[in-house]
Amino acid sequence: MDLTLDYFSNLALPRGYDVDLSSLAEHHRQLQQQYHPDRFAAASAAEQRVAVQIASYLNQAYAVLRSPLRRAIYLLELEGLDPLAPTNTSMPMDFLLQQMTLRESMEELADSADPQAAIDDLADELQAMHGQLQKAFAQAYAGDDFTAAEVVARKLQFIDKLQQELNDLEGRLLD
Amino acid sequence: MALLQIAEPGQSAKPHQRKLAVGIDLGTTHSLVATVRSSNAETLPNSAGEHLLPSVVRYRLDELPQVGAKALAHVVDDAPNTIMSVKRLMGRGLEDVKRLGENTPYVFESCDNGMPMLRTAAGLKSPVQVSADILRVLAQRGEASLGGELVGAVITVPAYFDDAQRQATKDAAQLAGIQVLRLLNEPTAAAVAYGLDSEQQGTIAVFDLGGGTFDISVLRMHQGVFEVLATGGDSALGGDDFDHAIASWVCAQRGIDSLDIKQQRFLLRQARAAKECLSQLAVANLSFAGWPGASCPLDIELSRAQLNELLDPVIAKTLRATKKTLRDAGLSVAEVGEVVMVGGSTRALRVQEKVGELFGKAPLTSIDPDRVVALGAARQADVLVGNQAGEEMLLLDVLPLSLGLETMGGLVEKVIDRNTPIPVARAQDFTTYQDGQTAMAIHVLQGERDLVQSCRSLSRFELRGIPPMAAGAAKIRVTFQVDADGLLEVSARELTSGVAASVQVKPSYGLSEDQIAEMIKASWSNVEEDRSARSLREQQVEADRLLEAIAAAMQADAERLLNEAEQQLVVTQMEALIAARNGDDHHAIAKQIEVLSKATDEFAARRMDDSIKKALAGQAVEDL
Repeated sequence: MDLTLDYFSNLALPRGYDVDLSSLAEHHRQLQQQYHPDRFAAASAAEQRVAVQIASYLNQAYAVLRSPLRRAIYLLELEGLDPLAPTNTSMPMDFLLQQMTLRESMEELADSADPQAAIDDLADELQAMHGQLQKAFAQAYAGDDFTAAEVVARKLQFIDKLQQELNDLEGRLLD
Repeated sequence: MALLQIAEPGQSAKPHQRKLAVGIDLGTTHSLVATVRSSNAETLPNSAGEHLLPSVVRYRLDELPQVGAKALAHVVDDAPNTIMSVKRLMGRGLEDVKRLGENTPYVFESCDNGMPMLRTAAGLKSPVQVSADILRVLAQRGEASLGGELVGAVITVPAYFDDAQRQATKDAAQLAGIQVLRLLNEPTAAAVAYGLDSEQQGTIAVFDLGGGTFDISVLRMHQGVFEVLATGGDSALGGDDFDHAIASWVCAQRGIDSLDIKQQRFLLRQARAAKECLSQLAVANLSFAGWPGASCPLDIELSRAQLNELLDPVIAKTLRATKKTLRDAGLSVAEVGEVVMVGGSTRALRVQEKVGELFGKAPLTSIDPDRVVALGAARQADVLVGNQAGEEMLLLDVLPLSLGLETMGGLVEKVIDRNTPIPVARAQDFTTYQDGQTAMAIHVLQGERDLVQSCRSLSRFELRGIPPMAAGAAKIRVTFQVDADGLLEVSARELTSGVAASVQVKPSYGLSEDQIAEMIKASWSNVEEDRSARSLREQQVEADRLLEAIAAAMQADAERLLNEAEQQLVVTQMEALIAARNGDDHHAIAKQIEVLSKATDEFAARRMDDSIKKALAGQAVEDL
């Protein structure tokens, strides 16, 4: 296995935004079966080290390709772009306003009459937005419009972060 | 006529001979060794037919240590030399042990690396040595039963064991002359024992409640692959808490206000007996016969309904931790196919009932909860030495606690999040904070909190020889590599110069089990507090940065570019920021940072003009 190659090549998947998640899981499993350090328990120390490196690479590749956000960023990085660079911050005003509204509704969740229902509603809303952005990214990427794809990737990151915060909030409220 | 077979040198003459390997459950109260024979996993007994080896070691002058039941018999009469529950001391420093405040009869001494040493009749013994003595007995039992030298062993550890505790366990095995094939998480081992015996597919939860610890792991099983999705726990919880709840109730019923140590021991023992009895009967009699006190209280009856009421608050805590772990795994209770019970405390019927209620299905209890971990470990050992050629069992485990580095202002930057599949390698880039900085201290931490003092310090090392550069110009890449045992190795490299340093994280102490549980719990309940503490540190760092920059600029150019009144204004605002920075209101600091920045805008503009003029002047000279 050549670890200098990209994740798609090593996991035997076509490079693109639409990934067949079951093939991804299956290929990852097969490769771990082959390269996991447990398969080299009786091998030399050097071989064991290589096995640890390969298994680490596979875990990383699997995590990146499985996540819609990380996969998008990775594809752009393969094009030599850095969508999340600190200098890369311009976002459309309407999107920023929408973010502010979403944040406000998240802050008000805890005080609502039925927090769990409110959380579920917001989670559904965020998931729908996430899905739309994934479609938009796939389209921009397939059309080689990397400038548009970068903006979508940044939007995805915003939504992803909101989802994480909502998840944390839900955990705290349940406690 | 059959040809004579001649084996290659080094190759076994009998190609089908099985390699001898065992699984060892090195427990707090008792330990076991198991192996696979004729594709059955079985625990191995000693010559007296006993499978469980009490994890107790007694040291004597000029004699070999006693291990197990023989040592257990001297727990009272030779307390300082008879070491119990050494697992609680593994990977901990003397300071940690003192902080535990446990009532141990042992005499501790420190040695140079901070490891606590127990003073015994046979000299100073470290927890690693004590564990090694237990492991040695188990390995010998394995060799005696199997009739040959062991190729190696899989040794189990609690899933929430941190790097230091894992490393200490591995050290103990090496000390005992055992080749460690793998350190395996206890819930994962239990899943293997159940999964292979019943050919389970799908998602399972392993609910592991021991005497003093609680582990919960969620795994997905598919075609022989056991993939841990999330692990969690709460080690301040266990069967001991049940006994205490019962004892407190008895005291309340009988109007007992205070207990001496002997009475406490007595009552806890009776409470445990009653609890165990109620797994069979509806009512248990708690007898005071033999009470070590002046007036003997009347015996008391404990009904199962009363017991349930006493156990429920403790069980509720395990259920909360279970729900959290399911959230981490991204699963709902309905998506869990089977629930497996591990640990002696899951024998309590109320635990089985409540866990069944949460998951909407009866938990699996078909394998002895005391033995299931060792049986799973034996399975994996068998696979690792290559006895299972063709079979494809593979265990993919996760990191139980996040790993990170200290950054400016005493904050922890997480490098690898908990529940990340291992092995894992992760690199993070850092930069220098001051102009001309030539060294960087790398401080590795484990835990979920934002502040350094709330996490466990694993290791410190220094990267030296960084070429002097402007602040922020150097690029230091710190790489974390966690192997399949969950052990960490850290290296650091300055990318522009190639200067490198690395360290195998091998601290002299580790996190206490309680601390880990505490940390995970605290990271939830203290989010608010952390957030404001974090904001304060961030603003303080920002203030220091600004103050240093302005001080340097003032020293260089104030005389030339500012009049006296202007200089005075800047100094006043700097003093105001210093005052705010030393307070604890991050809003005030942020506000004063803004004021000072505004006050020095004009100064900055003049310096900019000045340097452009200088640059242009230089160019002009060259052009001439």
